[in-house]
Amino acid sequence: MRSETEIREQLRTFVRRHAGDVAITDDTALFTLRVLRSVHLPELIILLERLRGAPIDVEQLRMGDFDGIDAMMARFGVPS
Amino acid sequence: MSALATALAQVSETADRLSRLSVRAHQNPYTLVDWPSAVDPERDWFGTPEYVSLNGTPAWAALDDQARRRVAFHEAAGFYSLNIHGEKALIQGLAARLYRSDLAGSTGYLHHFLDEENKHSVYFGGFCTRYARVHRSRQASFGTDRPRDVDDFLFFAKTLIFEEIVDHYNRVQARDGRLHPLARFINDSHHREEARHLVFGRRLVTALWQAGDWDPPTAAEIRHDLGRFVTATWREYYHPDVYADAGLDDPWELAEAAWSAPGQRAHRRRVSSDCLRFLTAAGVLTEEPADAF
Repeated sequence: MRSETEIREQLRTFVRRHAGDVAITDDTALFTLRVLRSVHLPELIILLERLRGAPIDVEQLRMGDFDGIDAMMARFGVPS
Repeated sequence: MSALATALAQVSETADRLSRLSVRAHQNPYTLVDWPSAVDPERDWFGTPEYVSLNGTPAWAALDDQARRRVAFHEAAGFYSLNIHGEKALIQGLAARLYRSDLAGSTGYLHHFLDEENKHSVYFGGFCTRYARVHRSRQASFGTDRPRDVDDFLFFAKTLIFEEIVDHYNRVQARDGRLHPLARFINDSHHREEARHLVFGRRLVTALWQAGDWDPPTAAEIRHDLGRFVTATWREYYHPDVYADAGLDDPWELAEAAWSAPGQRAHRRRVSSDCLRFLTAAGVLTEEPADAF
């Protein structure tokens, strides 16, 4: 299990890679603003699983779960 | 008239011909397979070893022959599972377009398409539920507010990309004499019907792209979406749950290492090349998808 700091940093790197010129903070609403879209989810989910060291139940996901790095940390930062 | 209605009208001769072939090749998936009561994953090959996602990695080199067969077996279940999930999305998309008001005159081949995709899932699900399990997908969709014409195009273009990659694996594995007869049958059966779907898909995607005639920003967003879909599709071939079922340690790290391995990047580029060449020639894509290779 990685530290919260390390998980956040890797998520920021992932988001920056896809954000183009959009300035990003940890509370930027990534899906609402369409910085990320559904087509990014497989890569994002496997990254989150690797960082937290536990699977994510894909059938229970909501857009709000990914709508910002803070939201992702709250939902997936620690294995449930 | 919607772009899809225009495109379907343009490919109607092809669709009619494929419909006749589908009627002639109609199969009953419940009687065609004599399922063995059990299989031996460490004795028989269920997937072509050169197409196992760990091939060319240090982890693969460290495995003995028995362990490699075990990985290939679980990866076959992973491959069939990603087909099940891909076909679920396809069935949903086809059903949503069946008898849509602007498409009422063009449903003939869509019925065959839908029917055949459902049958494929009977085979894939039959294998997974009898001998392994259905692995989960990481594809999820939260819906969009895109124009319907764009959604129609992306649906059929993504379907084509997914099926072209799958069909490459099917063709190779159907012909691979090292594989268990059941694995060869499932791959061969899928390939025979997918060959018709691919003919239809290529004709329709070309006509639909031309009928759409989108402005440059919309076309750029479509291209970006398709590029990401190529990457997302390939990501599913590197499944940590498959590695865990095969008894391998650190499955997420293994998936990451395999994804980045030079041999695997070259494999993905080679398998995708026909499909990408087609999409480029049709004017749909203008560059290689970012991050896929």
